[in-house]
Amino acid sequence: MGNYRFHTPDGVNDILPEECRTKRALEQKLRTLFSTHGYREIETPGIEFYDVYAGDRFIAQENLYKLVDQDGRILALRYDGTVPVARLAATLFRDAPPPLRLSYIENMYRFRESGGGRQREFCQAGVELLGLSSAESDAEVIALAISAALKIGVTDLQISIGQTEFFKGLMEEWNIPADDAEDISRHIDQKDTVALEKAAARYGLSETEKETLLKIPALFGTYDTLSDFENRVNSPRAKAALKNLREILDILDDYGYTKYVSIDLGMLRSLDYYTGMIFKGFTYEIGFPIISGGRYDKAVLAFGRDLAAVGFSMSLNLCMTALRRQGKEPAPLTTDAIIGYSTEPGLRRLALEMAYRMRKEGLAVLVDCEGMTEEELSDFAEKRKIEQVIFLNADSCGCEEEEKK
Amino acid sequence: MTDMITIALSKGRLAEQAIDLLEAAGYDCSAAREKSRRLILEDEKAGLRFIMAKPADVPTYVEYGAADIGVVGKDTLLEEGRQLYEVIDLGFGACRMCVCGPAALKGKLDQIPNKRVASKYPHITRSYFEGTKRESVEIIKLNGSVELAPLIGLAEVIVDIVESGQTLRENGLDVLEVIADISARVVVNRVSMKMKAQTIMPMLDAIRAELAKRNEPKEEVSSL
Repeated sequence: MGNYRFHTPDGVNDILPEECRTKRALEQKLRTLFSTHGYREIETPGIEFYDVYAGDRFIAQENLYKLVDQDGRILALRYDGTVPVARLAATLFRDAPPPLRLSYIENMYRFRESGGGRQREFCQAGVELLGLSSAESDAEVIALAISAALKIGVTDLQISIGQTEFFKGLMEEWNIPADDAEDISRHIDQKDTVALEKAAARYGLSETEKETLLKIPALFGTYDTLSDFENRVNSPRAKAALKNLREILDILDDYGYTKYVSIDLGMLRSLDYYTGMIFKGFTYEIGFPIISGGRYDKAVLAFGRDLAAVGFSMSLNLCMTALRRQGKEPAPLTTDAIIGYSTEPGLRRLALEMAYRMRKEGLAVLVDCEGMTEEELSDFAEKRKIEQVIFLNADSCGCEEEEKK
Repeated sequence: MTDMITIALSKGRLAEQAIDLLEAAGYDCSAAREKSRRLILEDEKAGLRFIMAKPADVPTYVEYGAADIGVVGKDTLLEEGRQLYEVIDLGFGACRMCVCGPAALKGKLDQIPNKRVASKYPHITRSYFEGTKRESVEIIKLNGSVELAPLIGLAEVIVDIVESGQTLRENGLDVLEVIADISARVVVNRVSMKMKAQTIMPMLDAIRAELAKRNEPKEEVSSL
């Protein structure tokens, strides 16, 4: 060991031609989708100041790749798309009138993630909608995430939508302090009913309140779930959250996307970060969510501008793994034709002209540069599964081409 | 269409108890009963596939979605810290995660500065001492016979699971502090819970019903 010359570091890998082609095709589909929805693509630097991420406490320092610059300042590799966009919105876009619709397709770097299809370097496509806080804007982003998944062929899709304000409102109503609420949210997120029952006893919740608490991780549905909880809570904050979800469902119905979505109020992560609706997207054959999104109205505020924000990101690597395992792989990459020529003068020019014309039509064409004979060329084409073999010799000078299958 | 469900079991006694429970809950587990060295036991008709894994690996299989459901001790879950749904406390395999050491240290644990703590569970040890007790300690990772460490001066105390306390007593050690109650848990992959809800939810309900039946005659013992 010790000779790392032949290896790539843990969690990163080379992308070979077939996969690379697939990835580019997905990227192109998403790029078109985002731009036709009015989202303008940006690139942010691969290296940010560490403070950009550390400043808002949202991302634990051990998850960041860190470097030190020549002046001793700590840098961090791009961890996600949202934080750099929040920085932009508060700085370069300071005077841009809201709403802002931005998109990105970029590699992210996460120090601790590895395995199960999760890489330390992976490509995320995502959008941010800044300056709007309506249910319409929530629904626009969810619908765009669904469209994105469908567009790239992930049709077995389930989107779970939650609302962090519902939980926060409920905790207020029950007078549970913030630190303990954080613990309870973790138990709910893990569907750990044992711990929840203990918590209910500790805070002296009534029998109905305990029932409500235990229902949060257990129920998922659509309008029925919302109605059930609407009758169980009094807090205006929690009620507003449920109303927001009801509106989102109504709007997604207008998109024709009802069948993909369900409500899961037990989805509670990063309560400091999310300030409203949150959602995740799932498909078969991959153990992790492929889509993650939500509302984070304080993310831009961390950079000094009070601007509402909602967005989502989709992991292209996970999507590609899922599509492959679901047997939805595109046809293998092929070369359409190869052109060879004998040594008579003028034939090379003819071969190059022919290749030029075919390539213009979008065919993938090789021109032999090893001086292969006609038989060698046929052999080569057969081995490489090249469909069309063209060999030019003295007879083809009159611009006839000899074709062989 | 019912989905094929993959269940990861912790090889050993826990696996057997889990299979008993599943069978009592109405699931055909004859595939898992096969006495063989095979690690994947599949029954297509029952729609179940069992994988026999090392306990510490069960949360990993489930987190990555290689298995939809797992049965594993809470000790392993605490140590591995995976992103899973932890849905049912099965009650069996009960024991406690404890700080243990010479009986003479009882009540005096906080007086030793810069403790060395030996354990098979470095993460649990770290989060208990640093998180709960706000104290920095030196953690020495061992792979077994942890009780040796305080006896020969490798560490002042150990963190380990205690069932009856027999091994401890025989080695002149005692429980100094209890970190957590441990028992077997059912864990579910976060995606499977959504994508295979139609198969998984009824299975979980059946397990809960069977557990309730078992607990019926005696009063529920409230835990710590």
